[in-house]
Amino acid sequence: MDNLLHVGKNIPRTAETDKVTGRAVYMDEYKRPGMLHGKILYSRYAHARIKSINTEKAKNLPGVRAVITGYDIPDVRVGFLGDQTVLKRDLVRQFRDEVAAVAAITPEIAEEALKLIEVEYEPLPAIFDPLEAMKPDAPLVHETDARGRPLRSNILPLPWKFNAGDVEKARQESAYTATDSVNTPWINQCCMGTSGCVAEFDSNNNLMFCSQTNVIFGAKQRIQTYLLNIGLKGKKIRVINPTVGGSFGTKLDTDIYEFICIQLALKTRKPVRIRFTREEEFMALPPRQTARFTIEQGCDKNGLLTFRKVEAILDNGAYTSWGATTPSVMMLPISSMYRVPNVSFQATCVYTNNIYSQAMRGYGNPQAAFAVETSMDHLAETAGIDAAEFRMINRNHPGDVTPMGLKITTCPLEQCITAVKEKIKWDEKRGKRNGRGVGMASLIHVAGGARVYLSDGTGIRIKVNESGEVDVLSGSTDQGQGSPTVIAQIVAEATGFKPEDVNIVFGDTALGLWDAGTHASRHTFVAGNAAVRAGEKVKQQILELAVQYIPKMVKRSLKQQKKKNPDFVEPELDYTLIDSPEKLDLRNRMIFPKAAPDHPHFKTEVGKILTSGLHVGTGESKAVVAEVFWDPPTEMLNAEMKGNYSCTYAFGAAGVEVEVDRQTGEVKILKLVSAHDVGRAINPSLVKGQIYGAAYIGVGYGLTERVQLVDGKVVNPNFRDYKILTANDAIPVEAVIIEDPDPAGPYGAKGIGEPGLVPTAPAIANAVYDAIGVRIKDLPITPEKVLAALKAKEG
Amino acid sequence: MSNYEYHKPQTVKEAIGLMESLENAKYIAGGTDVIVLVKQEKLAPANLVSLRNISELVYIDTKDGLKLGAGVTHSAIANNEFIRKRYSALADAAGAVGSKQIRNVATMGGNICNAAPSADTACPLLVLDAKIVIDGKAGKREVPIDDFFLGPNKVALNAGELVTGFVLPDLGSNTGSAYIKHARRQAMDLPIIGIAARAAIKIDGNEAVCRDSFVAGNDISQTIKRLEDERLVFEDVRIAMGVVAPRPVRAKKAEEAIKGKIISEKLLKEIGEIAASESQPRDSIRGEAWYRREMVKVLTGRAILRSIGRIVGPEQMTNPNRLW
Ligand SMILES: Cc1cc2nc3c(=O)[nH]c(=O)nc-3n(C[C@H](O)[C@H](O)[C@H](O)COP(=O)(O)OP(=O)(O)OC[C@H]3O[C@@H](n4cnc5c(N)ncnc54)[C@H](O)[C@@H]3O)c2cc1C
Repeated sequence: MDNLLHVGKNIPRTAETDKVTGRAVYMDEYKRPGMLHGKILYSRYAHARIKSINTEKAKNLPGVRAVITGYDIPDVRVGFLGDQTVLKRDLVRQFRDEVAAVAAITPEIAEEALKLIEVEYEPLPAIFDPLEAMKPDAPLVHETDARGRPLRSNILPLPWKFNAGDVEKARQESAYTATDSVNTPWINQCCMGTSGCVAEFDSNNNLMFCSQTNVIFGAKQRIQTYLLNIGLKGKKIRVINPTVGGSFGTKLDTDIYEFICIQLALKTRKPVRIRFTREEEFMALPPRQTARFTIEQGCDKNGLLTFRKVEAILDNGAYTSWGATTPSVMMLPISSMYRVPNVSFQATCVYTNNIYSQAMRGYGNPQAAFAVETSMDHLAETAGIDAAEFRMINRNHPGDVTPMGLKITTCPLEQCITAVKEKIKWDEKRGKRNGRGVGMASLIHVAGGARVYLSDGTGIRIKVNESGEVDVLSGSTDQGQGSPTVIAQIVAEATGFKPEDVNIVFGDTALGLWDAGTHASRHTFVAGNAAVRAGEKVKQQILELAVQYIPKMVKRSLKQQKKKNPDFVEPELDYTLIDSPEKLDLRNRMIFPKAAPDHPHFKTEVGKILTSGLHVGTGESKAVVAEVFWDPPTEMLNAEMKGNYSCTYAFGAAGVEVEVDRQTGEVKILKLVSAHDVGRAINPSLVKGQIYGAAYIGVGYGLTERVQLVDGKVVNPNFRDYKILTANDAIPVEAVIIEDPDPAGPYGAKGIGEPGLVPTAPAIANAVYDAIGVRIKDLPITPEKVLAALKAKEG
Repeated sequence: MSNYEYHKPQTVKEAIGLMESLENAKYIAGGTDVIVLVKQEKLAPANLVSLRNISELVYIDTKDGLKLGAGVTHSAIANNEFIRKRYSALADAAGAVGSKQIRNVATMGGNICNAAPSADTACPLLVLDAKIVIDGKAGKREVPIDDFFLGPNKVALNAGELVTGFVLPDLGSNTGSAYIKHARRQAMDLPIIGIAARAAIKIDGNEAVCRDSFVAGNDISQTIKRLEDERLVFEDVRIAMGVVAPRPVRAKKAEEAIKGKIISEKLLKEIGEIAASESQPRDSIRGEAWYRREMVKVLTGRAILRSIGRIVGPEQMTNPNRLW
């Protein structure tokens, strides 16, 4: 794998100039003739009965083309558990419940019309604390399930229970144990581009849906089901992406606003766009799930972990989206971070009248890692072992099979921890308790796809045009992370072209082959693997053409030279050098014999061969095109929640140095080191970009960010009060790339989209403890919490 | 969103005349408060009278104290060497407003007239004894800033009146001032609390010793101890607090209590306690009352100390991010 020409190079991102110069077509720029603008009316209560809705005044407002309520559309259930409808008829169960929607000729008129809709509510008692909601006599958020069967409890019927070994026995045999309760908050994904879509039906009710989804085929399927359920059978649906300004989990599920947009388009027979304001993005888009963990761990007298027992309670909110499935990823660190033989984990998702949650970068991993890594530090201290050493003793090794059944292939966790220790000056700085401290945390994440659906595959089709542009058609998406650049590098390497020859077509269900979605850090790995394979096929086809045409071209050229110059002596050429594709290679657009790479007659620019191959006269000729559908060799989790659901796993560690102001409780990060096992960095600067970005989100998670809910209502729905970090809060992040090429990865690469976020917050919390001796187990670590904890400690 | 007419007078007189004749009119300077309020539909003016083209509102006059036009932007203040040295608290505050983009358009006049309890430049103007210069159809008048704030977003302006500028007295070279914005991030944030201080000191001895103690290093207790050994006496002190009451307020009892005393760690702590007793913070989503009160205790002393730092070592611009 040496001698790579394009993989491993810092090739600048391809599409970004258009973005920074304003040329890129984001959802705002995506316009259709006659397009209308949709707006949604949300509930005014966390829980209420809708007594009446009057839309007359709104309908009469000039410029309004449609006003719809739950009574105007079929009462069809949507969502992961089918526990909600698109527009709510009788009951609202959360503040973001969609009660009515308007389509108008301008967004302003639509907004105006919302104010004219009169809704009469009868408020009902609401429940906001999941612990309260779990009690047997708690009022029910849902009286029935999706099929109308009565429900007896607010606890969701989900199977999040995992057991390996004998935790009870291991606890008794442990020399040391530590128990902690930790909480993580709701946080908003804060995409730069807010949510939106455009729905457009043709006269046969076929749907063109411009959506920001990163799962275009999943979205198509959900919409297909929805259309079927509302009586539109056999309609063609095409899902396309505009340029997308970030996803971070928000584009995984099909959201209610998208179904509303479809309904408005159906009703008005016009293209309709819905576009969220930032306030809506905060209050009407599901954030990362909040969770409460109780974690207990034990180790023997040498510091080897003996058991881990985790219980989690997840506030599900009023309905169910992907948030309720985050335990499937919490399981990763809980079962498999460090070697721990006996593990039990149970997660309980509870309905409340809070807003519901969905996916966010890292899925359940950052939440669970905060629990595990907080406990690791605590247990290390109890056992009297240095926290870094404790992690080193218990680290994962290549070849391990974890209690969950994960098969660890490559695993440079040791190098990651060592790099962090060194760069953060661990030995010199740890344990001073002088207001400055260092802390660390590690991570494991899926890095070779994640079999959450029956298929975890991706199809890639590569066609090479007659002059040598390489079109790559993929069912994947790009939400801004730079995938087109990475795929272009991989395709250039595999085919023998240059990255600038490669043209990537993403995000169109009509052009791309099926893909499971650009999620779970899987794109570079899975699509990359498909791309390598398809690229190699393309190259083979071209070399076959070369065997056929290079001799002809050479001979023709020699003949012409002879004709021009009778004194010309034809050289003796050894045509066996190029008589089979195996003897040829194609790199950087040049075809040459492997045995004589600089051969003056045989070395040929690829474009000449392509033209010769195509333009042969009448009848059939050969166009260069290949496609590969690749699905990694992995397993779906079984009923016991076990199975090797990724082809390989990524490891990493973060180290943080903080300074804590003991009088104000402020935590300042002096340095953050984030070392990651990436297999191979296809594009090191893009890898670093992923690490920096994830680390920053991790710092926000650790110190400042939270969606604040008061009685179910989001009270900080803007960037003034939602404290995402600004450019001025820049902290020095050192990204360390650890390369240990994975045999299963494309050129050895592993996924790196999510990992950087995972260990950051717990590393900060552990550093705070090292600095001042108080452990904050409730994110974010605000100055108030630090000061209160210090005061409590001082008594 | 409301529709409004936008007027662009060239002179103060013209502006006052427009205000007089137009229905439901509102002044707009940088617009960074006004437009937000209009978008939130908390304000629905039929007419906006822009002050942006009135050149007579834009001046920084450093003869005899400091005179500022209402139209001066936060950037202009934060970048002004003279203000940074002699009216440091104001430069601290102006430099901490919003972000560079906001500071480039937002004005002092707008900040003071909007009169948010969190307005960053309010506390500095309170400790610097500023007077507000007002013009209107009834003529010009001047109001001490402490009488100008009436409550949240309420100021002592009569209908149609506008603020033309601010007058700040010359405070002498033995005076320094500072403003501490205690916020959750470094930009685009409102303070959890803001504290401004101004201290005039008498040093019975060698000024250089004081300077050295500040420049020397981190251990603040030692710095204070050295200043105490130098018998550094507070001649006059002002303390103002933001976000702890419906309007930015002075901590007058604390100011009284410190006057004439020799600096010591104990004294600064006591002053902090007194100032805290004068604050009436509330719980809000942006901060809890108990924490705000605690911060008054801590940051009052720090702001005073930072002020002293500015007297003894103005050329160092003793403005480290952290003293502790
Ligand atoms: C993103 C953002 C961040 C911000 N951050 C901060 C911050 O950190 N700290 C802070 O204190 N503020 C902050 N603000 C608020 C605002 O920027 C300041 O209050 C600013 O100084 C207002 O000035 P302006 O010129 O934009 O005022 P405008 O919005 O034009 O006017 C504000 C008010 O003052 C009146 N007015 C303006 N000039 C005069 C005058 N000469 N005479 C009489 N009335 C007048 C207007 O009628 C209006 O009522 C922020 C605002 C935004 C949008």
